[in-house]
Amino acid sequence: MIFKTTSQLKKIHFFLTLLLISSASYAQIVREGEDESKLYAQSKQVNQFFRRFNGEEDEKGNRYYARDKQYRSEKLRRKYLGILFDESNAGISGALKVEFAKNVLDKQMFLNFHGGNWFSQVHATFRFNGKDEDVLLFMELEKDHAGSKWVINKVYADMFAPYFVRDTTKVGRFLHPLSHELDFMNLRKALVNSDSISQFTVKRFVPDHLSVFLYELKKGNLEFKSVNQVQFHFFQLDGWYFELSNFNRPGYNTGWLISNLVKLSSPGDKEALRRHLYNETN
Amino acid sequence: MVKNLRNLFMMVVLVGIAGSAAAQSGDISPERKQAIDSLALEKVRDLSKYISIIGNKKTAYSEASRVMDRAEELFSPGAEMGVSSLNRKEVNYYKVRQYFERLMALNYDRVSIEWYDIHYISDLERQPDGKYVGVVTIYQRFEGVSEDGMRYKDTTKKDITIYVDRKKTQIAGRTVEFWDVLLGDIKVTETGA
Repeated sequence: MIFKTTSQLKKIHFFLTLLLISSASYAQIVREGEDESKLYAQSKQVNQFFRRFNGEEDEKGNRYYARDKQYRSEKLRRKYLGILFDESNAGISGALKVEFAKNVLDKQMFLNFHGGNWFSQVHATFRFNGKDEDVLLFMELEKDHAGSKWVINKVYADMFAPYFVRDTTKVGRFLHPLSHELDFMNLRKALVNSDSISQFTVKRFVPDHLSVFLYELKKGNLEFKSVNQVQFHFFQLDGWYFELSNFNRPGYNTGWLISNLVKLSSPGDKEALRRHLYNETN
Repeated sequence: MVKNLRNLFMMVVLVGIAGSAAAQSGDISPERKQAIDSLALEKVRDLSKYISIIGNKKTAYSEASRVMDRAEELFSPGAEMGVSSLNRKEVNYYKVRQYFERLMALNYDRVSIEWYDIHYISDLERQPDGKYVGVVTIYQRFEGVSEDGMRYKDTTKKDITIYVDRKKTQIAGRTVEFWDVLLGDIKVTETGA
């Protein structure tokens, strides 16, 4: 095509510019739309994870109440259960997810915020003796007066662990069985060496990091710096354990998602797993 | 002031509409929850507007200072902002006023703060002191352009605590009850979205 006049060329240039501008702004709108759909897909709060798991809200996050037809409907729950797992985790097999979803729907299992049997694991940094140290705080909900509150149930810190190491397989050091006749005067020799003092405790002694944590905080030796990560552990659904973690990443599979799933075959399994999570070795 | 009165009037009316049965049992009816959500969202929108004004490089210092005062009034005493970014797990904690001042002092030639038309409101839970607490989540898009043309962009998720309390006031000699909403701590997270 040959353009006959400068004026025609100008018109075409103007038209092309308009086209470019409009396509650019269209692209921006599309991008925004995509961004928003990702944000809608995200399980933005633990509260939203609960509601989705139970089928108690629509796709925009508006709550359903018991009077609403969709409230806790199996169809809605089935849809949500499919998007509540961390898809990047190959450790949770598809078969296990299906079995879990089937079990949850068949037995009509729901999560209950105040139902107990779930707790939070808070990874925090504290300043101790001039160094940054990691401390795990295990928190649970407790009823109190008119409402409820999160409280610290247990604490675990690597920095405290060496002080409680004890080898029970060897004979080791001990206070002989007639020590009482001498008013336990051998305690002096027993306790002079701080490395071996754990050997003089009762076998069933379980180190309690929470007490040490409170003591050091009150003494002013331990100073809070930051919370780095939060996870949740759920034992609320009969026969199952799952872990809930927050995934802050691109895409649609983000927010609070199931990051671990274990089928529990006996109460012993549950207890063993719980102790493992609390870092309780003995 | 006029706005506060309007809110107060709205909540007084809502309390009247919703009746007293639910309040007596300590639970909040769905209707009242929706009314409280609206009030909370209105406060959150006010905050969003104030943040945009404070962050705007064209806002005069005196105006920004006045807006900071107004913004602070939305919060309960002692409220803090906890800020984390994608490349740093550690959270930095700021008093609300300190956060606003940092926002105002950002070293950009131009700043654009926009809000996504999306929010999420949690259920309300009762605290030991009888007040209710909830969390509203919103998303903000920030773009700063420095003098040499360098652009910095981020999207942050803001999880905003709301405290809901039943209060009493005297209107024309009558004691009326209303629900008041104050903002609390805010967790600001840079998103990877």
